[in-house]
Amino acid sequence: MSTLSKPWLQSRFPLLDSFRTYLTAPVLPREKPYLASLPVLIAGALIFQLLSGLVLSLFYNPADAFNSIQFIDRSVNYGWLIHAFHETGTTMIFGAVYLGIFRALWLRNYKAPGELLWFLTLGKFLVLLLIGYLGYVLADGAVSYWSLANSIGGAFGLSGVPGGIGVWFFGGPDGAGTLPRLAVFHGVLAVAMIGILLLHHAARRGAEPPVTRGVSLHPYYTSQIFAAFVIYALIFAVLVFFAPHLGENPLNRGPANPLVLPVTVSPPWYLLPLSNAGHVFVSAWGALFAVLARIALLAALPWLDRSAPGKPPGFPHKCLSLVLALDVILLCVWAMQPSSFIGGILLVLFTAYYFFHFIVLLPLTTALEAR
Amino acid sequence: MAESLGEIVHETEVIVRRDFLKILNAAAGAVAVGAIAWPFIDALNPTRDALAIAQPIVDVSGIAANTALRFVWMGTPIYIRKLTPKQIADNQFVVTSTLPDPASYTDRVKPGYETFVVVIGLNTATPCELLGNDPADPRGPFDGWTCPCDGSVYDPLGRVRGGPATKNLVIPKFTFLNDAQIQFG
Repeated sequence: MSTLSKPWLQSRFPLLDSFRTYLTAPVLPREKPYLASLPVLIAGALIFQLLSGLVLSLFYNPADAFNSIQFIDRSVNYGWLIHAFHETGTTMIFGAVYLGIFRALWLRNYKAPGELLWFLTLGKFLVLLLIGYLGYVLADGAVSYWSLANSIGGAFGLSGVPGGIGVWFFGGPDGAGTLPRLAVFHGVLAVAMIGILLLHHAARRGAEPPVTRGVSLHPYYTSQIFAAFVIYALIFAVLVFFAPHLGENPLNRGPANPLVLPVTVSPPWYLLPLSNAGHVFVSAWGALFAVLARIALLAALPWLDRSAPGKPPGFPHKCLSLVLALDVILLCVWAMQPSSFIGGILLVLFTAYYFFHFIVLLPLTTALEAR
Repeated sequence: MAESLGEIVHETEVIVRRDFLKILNAAAGAVAVGAIAWPFIDALNPTRDALAIAQPIVDVSGIAANTALRFVWMGTPIYIRKLTPKQIADNQFVVTSTLPDPASYTDRVKPGYETFVVVIGLNTATPCELLGNDPADPRGPFDGWTCPCDGSVYDPLGRVRGGPATKNLVIPKFTFLNDAQIQFG
């Protein structure tokens, strides 16, 4: 009888009830900052990426990758626009992801009970980096060809399990089989990102302190998210129409040539923070170690940070966070330049500071703050 | 009294203004969503060069009377035949109810261009390319086309007249641009 008193669809599809409760339950804290809606913006941008990627994938041909992208840009109706949507959407997603990571470092959101959320944030970041790298390689331009060739060469140089994974992933030396499988990985991982984002969203509620007199998602936070979305979409529109190739190596607009190495083999901006490991550590093992060590340091933050949970960040911590951000930006700027003697020294210095920050400075200052 | 009336008027104004803003926002939002969605939908339409190939223009000015031009479009042979006055006279007043698949002369030609018959040159029973484009070909008793595979007979308008076939030849989608040009598709 009770089920029949409800409207027709709700009595037969209980998820609607859960959805309504989700929208109207007063469980959210008041006055969350606008930046707290970054994960929602990332999810929205990801769905938009999936749509534009779906259209691009209909015309993309891995066997003739560069020319098929030229065909998209020149012949397909609005192909240039969809391509620009996809490129700039990547920039928007990574912009939000890097901003979110910096925000977590600044606010120390990774401390208990936020560790799981922090790990999921890093997982999201890593999978997005992999998707971004695959997408960059799929362009099959003069630069991304060499990026792929170097990656494959490095993977084949490794012995044991890492080498085996490399061979399995790339499917043999750069041949006809590599790009098609990378295209499939790119798309499958992008769809799988939705699941990671849902996990991340579910973990957010666990990381928030208990709320006594909360407000509901709708209309309080839906309107806030909408306002944030409008700003985000505005930036997106400006970039799409005025700087669709922002942060990309212009040399990658030429076709791949196995006999000509471009002056700089620098990936798009969003891959630079990790890819410059290859500039500092020349060997394949060294580059692999450097990338993993950088991620491992981020993942170890809940323990490297000695401050008490819930304590607001002090002045030294804020200064150090800003210096770290500056360090990473400078690292990326120098990694984009053609290799030079001074550039090499600076890259080593900036990399050393990154490790110094996490291993020495951060535990020290936070321990001093906690005393 | 006057004060409360003022309040009521003010509240009504607020509600009217809010309704107006709601409608304005919803309308602008709908336009924005449509503008975003259109490139995605249009990208799935055929490209212009694919359309140009799929909609070829054929010059028919060089076709002599009593012969047909063979032209392959989308994998099927298209026959464009120019009729002689005798063929028109023979077929114009045939009582359509006596035909296996009744169709009049005007059904088989385009108005204004009555001397041209445009058909897909495949027999409608056994899919087999018909003979009869050249006057020297076997054309059958109606001076049209015959099928070398099952012996079906067609008249110059492409109407079936005998044999296993029971349907007239299919007329493809085309338009006359002028006296000399036909565009398919």
